[in-house]
Amino acid sequence: MSVVVRNLGFAYARLPVLGGIEAEAQPGRITAVLGPNAVGKSTLLRCAIGLLRPDEGDVLLGGKLAHRLRARELAALAAYVPQRSIVSAAFTVREVVRLGRYAVGRSERRVEEAITTMELTAIAERPYPALSVGQQQRVALARALAQVPERGILILDEPTSAMDMRRARNCFSVLRRLADEGATVLMAMHDLPAAAALADDVWLLAAGAPGHLAASGPVEQVMRGDRLERVFGVGFEWARRGDGSRVLLPETRIDASSTTM
Amino acid sequence: MSLTRRQILGLLGLLVITLTAGGLRLLVYRDLEGVLTWSWPAPEIARLRWTAVAVAAIAGISLAVSGVLLQALLRNPLASPFILGISSGAALGVMTALYVAYVTKRSWVLAGSDTPPALLGAMLTLAVVYLLGQRRGWLDPLSLVLIGVVVSAICGALIMFLQHLVPQGLRGDLVTWMMGHIRQSVGAPFLLTAGGLALVGTIVALLMGRAMDAATLGDDEARSIGLAIGPLRLALFFLAGVLTSVAVALAGPIGFVGLIAPHAARLVLGPRHAALVVGAALVGVTLLVGGDVVSQSIAVSGGRMPVGVFTALIGGPAFIWLLRSGKGQV
Repeated sequence: MSVVVRNLGFAYARLPVLGGIEAEAQPGRITAVLGPNAVGKSTLLRCAIGLLRPDEGDVLLGGKLAHRLRARELAALAAYVPQRSIVSAAFTVREVVRLGRYAVGRSERRVEEAITTMELTAIAERPYPALSVGQQQRVALARALAQVPERGILILDEPTSAMDMRRARNCFSVLRRLADEGATVLMAMHDLPAAAALADDVWLLAAGAPGHLAASGPVEQVMRGDRLERVFGVGFEWARRGDGSRVLLPETRIDASSTTM
Repeated sequence: MSLTRRQILGLLGLLVITLTAGGLRLLVYRDLEGVLTWSWPAPEIARLRWTAVAVAAIAGISLAVSGVLLQALLRNPLASPFILGISSGAALGVMTALYVAYVTKRSWVLAGSDTPPALLGAMLTLAVVYLLGQRRGWLDPLSLVLIGVVVSAICGALIMFLQHLVPQGLRGDLVTWMMGHIRQSVGAPFLLTAGGLALVGTIVALLMGRAMDAATLGDDEARSIGLAIGPLRLALFFLAGVLTSVAVALAGPIGFVGLIAPHAARLVLGPRHAALVVGAALVGVTLLVGGDVVSQSIAVSGGRMPVGVFTALIGGPAFIWLLRSGKGQV
């Protein structure tokens, strides 16, 4: 199932945030949504999952208009993880993960699989509010994994931003496996080298009034050093490692003169 | 609804405490010399005591379940049935009726039939808060709280204005009503209607337990897992409003029950809402029936201690303890 964005425009209280966005996230591929702060990445994802109604254009989720989907239809197509997951009750980790099955039928097997996959077994009975932010992010991902149908759509807003490197790599590896099995993964990220290593495609958003798509397509076509420097104000370059694989690196070491205004 | 062992034991424990409170209310009384004693009452007296138990139970269930619903609706552990301004609206209804009775020299309100004006005032307030508490076509938790506070303040100002216009004696009637009281004499039709509404409301709340669990997630996440959050909020708002109105019309604005009962039940049963609805209802009954026993037992200047004073004296410190101990979660 694909996510197709057609000439999308969105404004908060007449303040234009996004305009003219045309892009597609395909099944079996991981698509990274990249861009500086406040460029509209989260807004784009919320439009994509049908939580916001676009002012112009539309989003097709699995061929259906996203904002017209009823909540239960949406849950059966796609799972979503916001930037900061909120649970306002002292549910245990297992109970929170179980909420992922709210509208798609109970399945303890899927719940336990998700808990194991996200390495949460040891803290499964711990209350959610007592967890660190990184652990809460793993719980949110586990909830989404327990929900998402086979070859479904995963829409994730910086899901690993508070995780340590090993946990983040584990999550990326799980997402890679899901994509290889046919899922569509659309994920906002700030870690450009990680995005370059993980994603198949990139939607690169650039600041403006409104935020717009600077480029979209396969990683190596979109993430060129000069383009990234224009969008982020930071230089990047591709390097080749000993095993022949390519990695994206920031151009310079950070020192006191690295501030760009 | 699957219950854990802890929840089953907790519910059984609460049930035993509730039944004990009910038994005490039927048996304990103060004799003519003012000494506390107990015995099985004569049929006429028993009927009055059964009525008091029924009134306390219906009001307790309504306030406690309403508290659970509102804490889920507003995602706020401080939410109570009176946060929406319903008690102030009901009090304004009673005060208006007292004023109309005074001006028109009619005595129907003064004869103790404060139920219709209280119900009318509560329902009108509910309608105003509903109309003003929306954003982008849906009920918004923050707007609801703010509008509730403002509506309460406006009702309070109007009550003071009307109090200024009537003689001292009538002001006393309102003050007595505001303290909350468990009546021993209520018309059977009203009691049956109120009991029916409390029962249906509790069953509907029980059926919404899973949805309330899901609503503890943020709005976006809740919708993404398949919860229609807008219609749920509407249902929670109206159900809580009707239950609160029933309780206020039946027993006056008795504070703290709707705040404390959900928290007490949560300590015993955990956060799952289906179990919480049943547990809070039992705690609500215990608080009001038990409160009425205490009220019967303590003579204050020739009368009884108002039950609302008891619930505030118990509920206030209990709530401070919950806040200080960090055990107050939604």
